[in-house]
Amino acid sequence: MQMKQLTLFLVLIISILSVPAGIASDDLRASDPRAEERAGMIAEIEKDVRDTAELINRRSFDRRVMDAMGSVPRHEFVPKNQRRNAYDNRPLPIGRGQTISQPYIVALMTELLEPEPADRVLEIGTGSGYQAAILSKLVSEVFSIEIITELADDSRQRLQHLGYDNVRVRAADGYDGWPEEAPFDSIIVTAAISHIPPPLVRQLKPGGRMVIPVGTRFQTQYLTLVEKSPEGEVTTRQLIPVIFVPFTGGHQ
Amino acid sequence: MTAVRDEPPLVAIFLLSAAALAYEVLLVRLFSIIHWHHFAFMVISLALLGYGVSGSLIMLFRTFFLRYFPAVFFLNILLFGISSTGVFAIVQGLSFNALEILWDSSQWLRLLLTYLFLSLPFLFVANTIALTMLRFDLQIARIYSADLIGAGVGAIGIMLLLTIFEPATVLKLLAFAGLSAGVVVLRYTRRQLAAAFSLAIVASGILLLPTSWLESRLSDYKGLVQTLRIEGARHLDSHSSPVSRIDVVENRQVPFRNAPGLSLQSPVGPNEQLAVFSDGDAMMTIDRHAGQESPGYMGYMSSALPYQLGRQFERVAVLNAGTGAAARQAAAYGSGRIDAVEPDTQLTRLVSETYAGYSGWQQFAERIELHNTTARAWAARKKHSYDLVVMGVPGSSTGGAAGVYAFATDFDLTVEALESYYAMLEPGGFLVISLWTDTPPKGSLRLFATMHAALEQSGVTQPEKQLAWVRSWNTATLLVKRGELGNEEISAIRDFSESRNFDLAWLPGLGEHDVNRYQLLPKPFFYMAARAILSGQGAGFMENYQYDIEPVRDVNPYFDDHFRWRSLSAFLALPGGSGIAMIGAGYPTLIATLLQAILAAVVLILAPLLFLRRKLHTDGRLRSRVVIYFSVIGLAFLFIELSFIEMLTLVIGQPLYAVAVTLSVFLVFSGLGSLTVQWFMERKGLEPAVLLRWSVLSILLVTLLYLLLQAWLIEQLMVLPTMLRILLAVVLSMPIAFVMGMPFPLGLTATSRTAPELLPWAWGINGCASVLSVILAVLLAMEIGFAGVMLCATGLYLLAWAALPQQRVT
Repeated sequence: MQMKQLTLFLVLIISILSVPAGIASDDLRASDPRAEERAGMIAEIEKDVRDTAELINRRSFDRRVMDAMGSVPRHEFVPKNQRRNAYDNRPLPIGRGQTISQPYIVALMTELLEPEPADRVLEIGTGSGYQAAILSKLVSEVFSIEIITELADDSRQRLQHLGYDNVRVRAADGYDGWPEEAPFDSIIVTAAISHIPPPLVRQLKPGGRMVIPVGTRFQTQYLTLVEKSPEGEVTTRQLIPVIFVPFTGGHQ
Repeated sequence: MTAVRDEPPLVAIFLLSAAALAYEVLLVRLFSIIHWHHFAFMVISLALLGYGVSGSLIMLFRTFFLRYFPAVFFLNILLFGISSTGVFAIVQGLSFNALEILWDSSQWLRLLLTYLFLSLPFLFVANTIALTMLRFDLQIARIYSADLIGAGVGAIGIMLLLTIFEPATVLKLLAFAGLSAGVVVLRYTRRQLAAAFSLAIVASGILLLPTSWLESRLSDYKGLVQTLRIEGARHLDSHSSPVSRIDVVENRQVPFRNAPGLSLQSPVGPNEQLAVFSDGDAMMTIDRHAGQESPGYMGYMSSALPYQLGRQFERVAVLNAGTGAAARQAAAYGSGRIDAVEPDTQLTRLVSETYAGYSGWQQFAERIELHNTTARAWAARKKHSYDLVVMGVPGSSTGGAAGVYAFATDFDLTVEALESYYAMLEPGGFLVISLWTDTPPKGSLRLFATMHAALEQSGVTQPEKQLAWVRSWNTATLLVKRGELGNEEISAIRDFSESRNFDLAWLPGLGEHDVNRYQLLPKPFFYMAARAILSGQGAGFMENYQYDIEPVRDVNPYFDDHFRWRSLSAFLALPGGSGIAMIGAGYPTLIATLLQAILAAVVLILAPLLFLRRKLHTDGRLRSRVVIYFSVIGLAFLFIELSFIEMLTLVIGQPLYAVAVTLSVFLVFSGLGSLTVQWFMERKGLEPAVLLRWSVLSILLVTLLYLLLQAWLIEQLMVLPTMLRILLAVVLSMPIAFVMGMPFPLGLTATSRTAPELLPWAWGINGCASVLSVILAVLLAMEIGFAGVMLCATGLYLLAWAALPQQRVT
């Protein structure tokens, strides 16, 4: 008898305790219907990081980076016909021959920049604005340059609409950087380049980092990390491999 | 319904075969422009299985088709006309994206539909030929000769057409060429008016088809398309040739700035440039002449290495000059006389004529002389002539890095090639080759290994004293001196690298602490490779390296193929499938093509047997003979043809002429061989088995003779003037082509005598084997070289001899 009462008590306690959680979760679902999918995406990124720990020299990403990845609504950055795939851990075509990078790659590139809250970051190649949105959660200011005017206009509007107020988007040639706002704590270049533009090297602060992915729109083959020492010496470092395709490992 | 004369419609067959072969070449061109060339290879290879489908289809409906032969023949002509243009428009509408295939499962369906649609025109042409052979079974060899000679003329014809017209126009012209076969056979049909009317309707339909439907819509992900989206981009020029489509783009608002491997220490980048795209990708650039010529940014590229050695060069050769960047670099450093060698006349014309004002060509014209030939042909004639020989960084980094050129042959970077470039140097001269690097390094390491082999072959005993190797973050420059590097030169190279933050990968006296300082790799791969190779440990290093970086030679000139089966499992075992990127796109595409082709071939060969099991009177042994005979001669023919074309490409010098001339000569002379067989059977009453014995023995003899003399022949021919080389190449291909035209019609004749119901099946099997043959030949050549492939072919012909289907067992 006593056992029965104890069980009943336990059930009651558990159900009472779970009510707030349930309410919170319902609330979240109501305000952010894709939160669960995003959580799933985060879990996949975390798994990828664990799987590739040796290749990228880290077992996990900074909590702040993962929180930013978990809070930016990726579905808002892809065209309507791709929204159902928005939280798949894969690159997505967004029209005009552009893609939005695989979430794991976005997270890895952000991690490599080692963003600090007071940082000012320059991005070359705004695309949909997703990478800029992630950075905006982590640093004080993001300056993003897009070479295709229509894309720049679209992403500026999108970022404003979604409340990413610390991002400035400019339609211009990224080669020259953004001299008026230089120097930058870090620079991220997502355009194909035959060389690292000298103006960008100059606009990087001593101690700053620059990340450049190399490959095709759907296959990042490796990342180049450019580091400027406090003394101003510039070195590059190549990280391999960083591509993931849905053959093994359950990434889909 | 219709009547037919007792003569096979040979002219119609000739026209259809010419149109079909030209159409095949055109499709490869179009798909290389729209997508990428490795993808074009896969799609067109599989579309050619239309020939296999034809065999199965005719076998199933043989009686019906034969009863209405003229009508069916005519209908297939009409269908070729409609489908050759129609399917191209439909396939473009499928919006297939090759890059997304690993991510998006819907792309597989689009790919399958692409194969199915594109196979239709080939199916219709194959139907006409196979049906004619079935209907006129005593004249099979004559019909086959019309087919081959037509195809041979088509091979030359398409080159001419693509020189004169745009591909979209050529597409229509080929449809008309096919339909003209309909005009030829009009007189055989009973309802001539109705037939003529239908021809006129189809022809007008094609004529009125909006050209915009047939214009190539390039993949959104190709460089040209992306570039044209940028504000200020002006499309200045677009010119298509049988080799490539060249597009020129200018953008004054957002200027192009291409400077492969520019130092991170460079204070400046390039000035404004024009972009030149080949097949919508592989961007090269032409610098705007800025008046005063000084090296500027060019002095901060790894390719500037030879100009830092305190020497003024008097005679410079720039091999594969492209749009002239390396030649201008040489000129900017005050070099005396510069020979710029470039086989693609489209490119040289752009720099020296069309955009001569932009590039300031007049300023250089006195010093730079352009030569339209290949590096190899030039090197063969210019021994001990230069104090500097330079080979520049090829157009774009993307293709090589992605491994998409894995199965493209490259005779410019083989041991024999490097040996001949080294021989161009005067004592004390320098040979300098710059390449894009990839991560992990592959091509550059192979270049070093190949150079080492070439130096050894040239009698150099201490190559380590003659080599210097410098790398930027994405290029590597290898320098070889004809003689030992002096102390001053060594210290100049050190200074150059230090001041540009380039890494030294090899230099006499280099230590481990000197390497991997600025462009950090997980391991100092370049130095490790150089040290191992130069200290006699190269074999072990290359054996253990995850990629194939062994030296390549003229017999297996696949410089960009680095795939190793034994690394595959290691790559696939990398976490999360991350190793897929390490494999590259080229080799897996080839394997994927082979597997798909095998699957389709098995289905096509077995399907008729399943349906007709009860109706077939032939026993299993005879059927096996048919399968073996027609498979092996299908394989063997293309093994030899492909190897011959590749080797003659080297001899003739211009790939365009080489392919057109050899393909054409091969097909026409095979056709004549087939005609000779007909003559022997009709006039001399010789049996197919007897003729087969002689033809197989002749093939063996000629092939072995060629293999024995090959190296000597190439050496002798390379130094001759171009026209003479072409002429001799033609003469060389004649005998082998002539005898190789015999086994197929002999087999068909034997089959028609013993089991006529299997004739279409034999035709289909041969079609499938031919598709497999091209893919297998490339795979085999990568492993055992062209000589090995030709030896395999001789073995296959021996097997064919033993398997001739000649005894009927009921």
